[in-house]
Amino acid sequence: MTTAHRGAGAADPAPLSRAPGAGRVRAAPGRGPRRRGLREAVTGYAFIAPAVVLFCVMGLYTVGYGFTLSFATWNGFTPHWEWVGLDNYADLLWRDPVYAPRVHHAALNTFWVMVFAPLLTVAVSFPLAVLLNRASRLQGLLRSVYFVPYVTSGVAIAFAWQYILQPDGAVNFLLKTVGLGSLSEPQGWLGDPATALPTMIVVTVWGAVPVSMLLYLTGLQGIDRSLLEAAQLDGAGWWRTNSAVVWPLVRPITAVIVLLGLRESLQGFQSFLVMTNGGPGDHTNVLGLEAYRLAFLKDLAPTLGLSSALGWLLFAAALILALINLRALRSRT
Amino acid sequence: MRTPFSLNARLAAVAGATALTLTVLSACGGSRGAGGGSKSLEMWTFKQSHVAALRNAAEEFKKQTGITVKVDVFTPDDAFTTKVQSSAKTGGLPDVLETHSDGDDRVFGAAGIVGDIQDQYKGAWLQGIQPAVRDSGLVTDVRYKNALNPEAKDHGIKKGARYSVPLTVGTFGIVYADKRKLAAAGITKPPATWEEWMADLKATTRGNPGTGGLSLGLQVAATGLTWVLQPMAFAELGKQDYMSLFLKDKSKDFGSPNGLKVLKRYDELTPYWMPGTQTLTIDQGDQALAQGKSAFDVGGTFTLAFLEQNGMKADDIMAFPMPEPADAKVKDMGLGPIALTSMCVTSTSKQPDNALKWMRFLSGAKVAARFAKDSSDLPAAQLGAESASVLGPTLSALQKSFKGTSATTYDPNNGGVDFRAPGYEQDDAGAALSDMTPLGRQSVQGTADRLRQINQAAWAKAEAADK
Repeated sequence: MTTAHRGAGAADPAPLSRAPGAGRVRAAPGRGPRRRGLREAVTGYAFIAPAVVLFCVMGLYTVGYGFTLSFATWNGFTPHWEWVGLDNYADLLWRDPVYAPRVHHAALNTFWVMVFAPLLTVAVSFPLAVLLNRASRLQGLLRSVYFVPYVTSGVAIAFAWQYILQPDGAVNFLLKTVGLGSLSEPQGWLGDPATALPTMIVVTVWGAVPVSMLLYLTGLQGIDRSLLEAAQLDGAGWWRTNSAVVWPLVRPITAVIVLLGLRESLQGFQSFLVMTNGGPGDHTNVLGLEAYRLAFLKDLAPTLGLSSALGWLLFAAALILALINLRALRSRT
Repeated sequence: MRTPFSLNARLAAVAGATALTLTVLSACGGSRGAGGGSKSLEMWTFKQSHVAALRNAAEEFKKQTGITVKVDVFTPDDAFTTKVQSSAKTGGLPDVLETHSDGDDRVFGAAGIVGDIQDQYKGAWLQGIQPAVRDSGLVTDVRYKNALNPEAKDHGIKKGARYSVPLTVGTFGIVYADKRKLAAAGITKPPATWEEWMADLKATTRGNPGTGGLSLGLQVAATGLTWVLQPMAFAELGKQDYMSLFLKDKSKDFGSPNGLKVLKRYDELTPYWMPGTQTLTIDQGDQALAQGKSAFDVGGTFTLAFLEQNGMKADDIMAFPMPEPADAKVKDMGLGPIALTSMCVTSTSKQPDNALKWMRFLSGAKVAARFAKDSSDLPAAQLGAESASVLGPTLSALQKSFKGTSATTYDPNNGGVDFRAPGYEQDDAGAALSDMTPLGRQSVQGTADRLRQINQAAWAKAEAADK
């Protein structure tokens, strides 16, 4: 069809130019679709434009702004930034006698949280999910109960824990009531540097278990029952089935949980801010909290650049961890 | 596949979506100024104990001028500072701020958050303020010179500017005690010396180790340093040697014999802290006394109001200035009255004239007297001869600690001239001190070394910034 048209046009171009009406009629099939296509494209772009603008303003702009700020000193209000190159990074990492020791100390605390919070989260949530998966009654109710910590306001939880962990709080009271008074903590569980950070890790784990357990539960319910039956036919007991069959099958979920836990440990600081504010002394100071302090609690000292630099260092660390995790996940699955 | 809508319909939908997005965006960045009306002011404070008194004054102000003042509180201090900072960036500041005097006011002034009011705050208004705090908020030559260092938090202030009007005065280093607990331990009068205070603490904790001790909000790390150690060190060493603890000369700083002496003295408190005091905020430390969890509490003149708000009767409270050691160089030390909180006009206020009118109203003698009664706090305005009857016996007693000469009076602000290194981090020093007591994780010598390190680091930074 098209070749025939083209052929006809090529053989007798004059009538086309002489007959305007015919020309319009014959030109329409060529311009019409193009115009419609253009209109559709414009409409499409117009539809996504608000989202793109939002992303540019709320995402790209702020990220770019924060990144450039990490190379400057500024208190947020003076008219000009003072460019300092990589000084903020150097000051935080080793050079500044005031900030570097604080960052090192906070980094060590953060490291312990990153090691133990994900490990304990997995150690608690996987067995819990296995048990819940076997429960024949009240599974829905139990699932909801276990999920309560996740849907409760973080600040409210932090305050509740604070009261529970006081010297005259519920934990010490319980220990004394059951005859384990020697295990109670006279200064409160957040008041003794030896117990404050471990306690904060436990609180972090308590908050992370619900989602982790739900993820495991989803994974457990997706396992082909024939695999479990085959294992049982081969004589594997409950422990053997879970450790040798189920656990390897949910390893990708474990990787996700560990990754989420690492990210939260590295960047989260809400509970630390509310419950200890980094104390006692600065024994529970973590990097996220230090970045917050540098940004907001320095009496408008020009430390926003330092805060931003610390934020980017945290981002770099999180990126490296994510890549390692991804690599490990690929090699095992 | 083509959608069954006409072009016009699709364009209308796009226009609608864009309008909605812009509406959301504009709602996010909306300014509070427009909705207030020309006869409505907004004021923020960080002092919960001032809210009722300010609201009472606002009612009276409205009767006289027709101007409404809405008073909001954001507490604790850190939350207030964060709120001000974020609101300044989003254009959501109120008209008037009540801030810490000779600190936040100048910092906010340097940042352009609050305006210079030197042309308005003068004459009779200025003369109505107590002479001791008339220079509060003023950028004197010395303050300006100190702020030239880029490490100074008020770097950028203008010479001769005034950024605030004092609202309340007082001082730190006031010890409050529960008379009932003291009576139970056989104590009937305030201790005359530091040693007597330690003996009193020993007596109150002997029978009640859990509830007979000293509470202080040590979660705010600098509190132990600024409210206990510093006044005690001032008395122990005398003014010059006390100041030298923070200067560059290592022969007289915290690592010197003088420093070790005051640190040892401070370490004597170790057995007497209320359990868990290191986890408490300043307010929680005061509440502990009101709730019977401690026998002593250290605060300032402003603490009395908070204790009463938390249910403690004035008759049950014994208040006395931090007692000096028996061998102190400064005997019968006075506590210098300083401006504690001040009022500032924000630079974004749409009604600066009305804001100033409100501030001047609060500085009036009658309004200040009512404010004192309502808040149990000491106003900066001069109350005249009836001061004692207005303030009541406890506040009047505290006011008597405002005495002595410059050499024998501990002034936490040193007349508004900071002798420490610009950028000196009190919180870091306080955390080091907490490691010694109450935590017991660091020796006196180790603490002295750490404090010297913090001090020297601050001086090194300040000198580097000067170059």
